[in-house]
Amino acid sequence: MDVYIQTLLSGLAVGGVYALIALGFSITFTTTKTLNFAQGEFISFGAFVGVTMLLLLSGLTSTVTAVPGEAASAWRYSAAVIGAGVVAGFMGILIFLLAVRPFAGKGGMNWVMSTLGFGVMLQSLGLAVWGPAPVMVPSPLGDDVLRIAGAGVRPQELLVLACAILIMVALDLVMRRSRIGKAMMAVAHSPQTASLMGINVTLVMIGAFALSSGLAGVAGVLIAPIASASLFMGMGFALKAFSGAIIGGLSNPRGCIYGGFILGVLESAVGLWQAQWREIVVFGLIILVLAFRPAGLFGRTAVDKV
Amino acid sequence: MTPHYTALKAALLGSALALSSAAYAQEIKIGFNGDLSASPSAQSGQAGVLGIQAAIDDINAAGGILGRKLALVVRDDLSQPPKSIQNMSDLIDNEKVVAVLGPTNSGNALAWKHIPNQKKNPSIGCIGSATDITKPASPGAENYMYRVSMVDRAQVAGLIAYAKKNPATKNVGFLVETTGYGQGGLKDLQELAEAKGLKPVAIEKFGVNDTDMTSQLNKMKAAGVDTVLVWAQGTPIGQLVRSMEKINYFPVTLTSWSSDNASFFDTAGKTLAEKPIFMRTITEDRTPKQQQLYDRLAPKMASKSAFSFAAHCYDALMITAAAIKQAGSTEGPKMREALESLQAPVEGIMKTYNKPFSATEHEALTAADYRWTHWKDGKLVTYSDDVVKTLQPSDFAQ
Repeated sequence: MDVYIQTLLSGLAVGGVYALIALGFSITFTTTKTLNFAQGEFISFGAFVGVTMLLLLSGLTSTVTAVPGEAASAWRYSAAVIGAGVVAGFMGILIFLLAVRPFAGKGGMNWVMSTLGFGVMLQSLGLAVWGPAPVMVPSPLGDDVLRIAGAGVRPQELLVLACAILIMVALDLVMRRSRIGKAMMAVAHSPQTASLMGINVTLVMIGAFALSSGLAGVAGVLIAPIASASLFMGMGFALKAFSGAIIGGLSNPRGCIYGGFILGVLESAVGLWQAQWREIVVFGLIILVLAFRPAGLFGRTAVDKV
Repeated sequence: MTPHYTALKAALLGSALALSSAAYAQEIKIGFNGDLSASPSAQSGQAGVLGIQAAIDDINAAGGILGRKLALVVRDDLSQPPKSIQNMSDLIDNEKVVAVLGPTNSGNALAWKHIPNQKKNPSIGCIGSATDITKPASPGAENYMYRVSMVDRAQVAGLIAYAKKNPATKNVGFLVETTGYGQGGLKDLQELAEAKGLKPVAIEKFGVNDTDMTSQLNKMKAAGVDTVLVWAQGTPIGQLVRSMEKINYFPVTLTSWSSDNASFFDTAGKTLAEKPIFMRTITEDRTPKQQQLYDRLAPKMASKSAFSFAAHCYDALMITAAAIKQAGSTEGPKMREALESLQAPVEGIMKTYNKPFSATEHEALTAADYRWTHWKDGKLVTYSDDVVKTLQPSDFAQ
């Protein structure tokens, strides 16, 4: 029994990370019909912005391979999370203006290459500033294993899970209840119509990219204490998150979140059977989903009226 | 300027050139080809170069070899196989080096091991540990690849010997990562375990970037595994011991030497880092000779745990020099003959080498030269227990 609870818990912890990033994919897709393929680099970039802030706030400037535990006190860590979100969000505006907007609405797939390219630039910039070595980041909640019904979990994993759920609920409320959210959904539905209704479509799209990239930056700082910050860490997570988004349905933010969690738990469960088959099972599932439900598992069920 | 003055100047310049080119021709050039800047293992390459340079300085201070000074030519391969191959040709054909030391990454040595054999130019590895680097192209073929470093298969032999001799070990499990490194280790583990009559009750794999291995460990636990043999890089081994803590399952953990990396220590944290036992050539309990070289190089070394590579490379150069001396020549085939039948013992940092190489043995350091190691209070120290004490060199037979 312990084993299954452990599998579920470990899966949810990883799934929370996937869900958070998958949400970012969904936000830009629903508003601009484009995806930010530099999302992975934004995660790594965000993690290192967070590391830099932790070091600066605690008066340490030297390059280290591990941030000392006392540097990650609750307020410093919160500040680093917010700081990384803001910096990554600003970079998101840049990527929209430089790499997406010139190609948006013109047909073709130029934005795929330009966002990928932006990611490569971001990574090279990061390598020049921070170097290739990974940096271990301590959790603000300490590192002692917590026991839940016999299964072990680290405080940071619960924090990621809690943050993921909190951010998703908040975004869901904003999207469905506020004027901004309704404007975003209107733009998603039809930019032309939204524009005729007096909605500033460009501004909404900029906002969507800022939000999506900001989420990636926040995710980077949240994952760093689990996976250690590295400029190469984002790609793997982003690919899995994108897979989760496809499984859940790119056009449905809630579906993306479910997709992320499903993927995390599935990976963990496959590990109980044959870990080396994990990727085959995951991507096999994606092919099945695309074949039978091209809009994703939750893609069609959520028809919203704006 | 008078014509007379110009002529004088030309004469002076000419003789200076002649002098310098004469000195140039007399130097025996040794090459280093390896990663010095591009991957996390670049620190090992940097330490290796420091060791080679120290050995060259020592030899030159004592008058050189065959009355000639030694000189080092360094090429950075940026850890890329194509660049590494290009460097080999450049060093051997253009720079006319008599031997090449390095490389940092095993994969690069495997990419160019045909070149030293074709050009009959000895290569002495002192960093990379992949088993196949020193294997001849075909059985009995002339082989110019030698090594003074760890060998993966010999480490595996050590780990298997420990598991075999440990009376507390009832069920063994193998845990490896899914990269080429992990798969190569698994192959060695399976072959040597079978040869020793050790049967694993579980074999599990994990990804190099995984952060949670509890599923795999739960399967090990369910199979009653009390000793795990792990072949993976530093960071995933760190995640593995963290996952062990989650399910409170701590079998005897024997790992590849990657547990000596700072990345393992940082990931695992100070307490959990003390769990794995592994083999290494040098611990922080250094011999006086090792301490002497350490003190000499420490100010220039970026990573202190990379010191072992400085020592290996120092010895590799000393053995090369001894071979040139015995051969009385820097021709490749004569050096190969001398390397495989060194008469005088070579005083090295790791040990005194008595006939380190032969036609069939191309490894100067073998499992008997390795030391059991673990982390203690943030330091890499010699590990010993009742099992280690009973291990004989014959137990390491491959």
